[in-house]
Amino acid sequence: MTVLALALALGVAVGLLTNIAIPVMYLTYLGVAVLAGIDACLGGVKASLEGTFDDRQFLFGFVSNVLMAAFIVFVGDRIGVRELYLAAVVAFGVRMFGNLATVRQLVFKRRGWE
Amino acid sequence: MRPEPKDTMHQLRDGSRRAMHVIRDESLRAVKASEEAARRTFLQARLRTSLAIGLVLVGFLLVAQWRGVRTSASSLEGQSDQNLAIIISEMTAENSSMRDEILRLETRLLQANRDEQGRTDVLNQAAREIESLKVLAGFEGARGPGVVVTVRDPDGTLLAQDMVNVVMELRAAGAEALAVNGVRLEATTGFSARGDRLLAGSKELAPPFEFVAIGDAGNLEQAIELPGGLGATLRAFPGVRVTVLKKDTLDVPPGAAATYRYGKPARS
Repeated sequence: MTVLALALALGVAVGLLTNIAIPVMYLTYLGVAVLAGIDACLGGVKASLEGTFDDRQFLFGFVSNVLMAAFIVFVGDRIGVRELYLAAVVAFGVRMFGNLATVRQLVFKRRGWE
Repeated sequence: MRPEPKDTMHQLRDGSRRAMHVIRDESLRAVKASEEAARRTFLQARLRTSLAIGLVLVGFLLVAQWRGVRTSASSLEGQSDQNLAIIISEMTAENSSMRDEILRLETRLLQANRDEQGRTDVLNQAAREIESLKVLAGFEGARGPGVVVTVRDPDGTLLAQDMVNVVMELRAAGAEALAVNGVRLEATTGFSARGDRLLAGSKELAPPFEFVAIGDAGNLEQAIELPGGLGATLRAFPGVRVTVLKKDTLDVPPGAAATYRYGKPARS
């Protein structure tokens, strides 16, 4: 767990040090991509608790989720349905809560709090 | 009945063979278990590593996005269409009033060049202008009606440019004399930033910023409080509060008389 927290902190530190600001027109793209990344990480934690974690599965899932999310926003922009990014937001949001609930249940079961 | 010695030997040999089997099985099991444990820690390490890589990426993207959203809030690109329309119409109005000004000045120039009479007219007018310019330039203190604009910015989000905008807005609305926190704003006064502090000329400004402007109080107030105007723009920044108070008598102190080292009046 500490390793994971440190990893997140490292990412934040790198972001702060490189001083990168995303151009306004790409904000939606990256926003959805961030959601996809968070969702993939939560999914990874869940899978590791369930004992079904596979690192290749996780890394490819991470990258493909992020790319797909950005692609959906792109398509939405092109075909004039700018709100299409909401589809990705809702999908990832629902999945995040689902994963979080499973993680919570597994942790509770493991600690014997139930 | 006593067993035959032969049978006893048999049993002993059997026993030792069984014991050896047991030992062999045990050691095999131990090796397998340790292999299994090693495999598990290896898997655990791979799991940790990949999750950590994912989290590093997420953290990085998160910060980049955060930055982007913050800059977009303060740039024109992030403004709503309505605000942009207001800004455009303001600029158009400003533009046309400047065109009028150019036209007026050009006719004056033509008049001056046309004849002697015109020339003395221009000179008289210039003498009158010098008097009022003395007040405008800050050589003399001024007293009169006007407004006090107080800008509170506890988070320090405002830049020197914002101060310039307040001054410009008040001047555009006809402010004749201006001071901020007791510092008279002359023609040569500039706003700048030193670290987190804002300077007017060479004097440091301590928040809250209090602009005193002498002029038509109604016009001055309206210039700041216009819907979508400067007041609204400043209030859009987090933590910034702007109040405008109309006053019947205000005093603006004189500035330090400017001495010019480089510029000399150019006459042609």
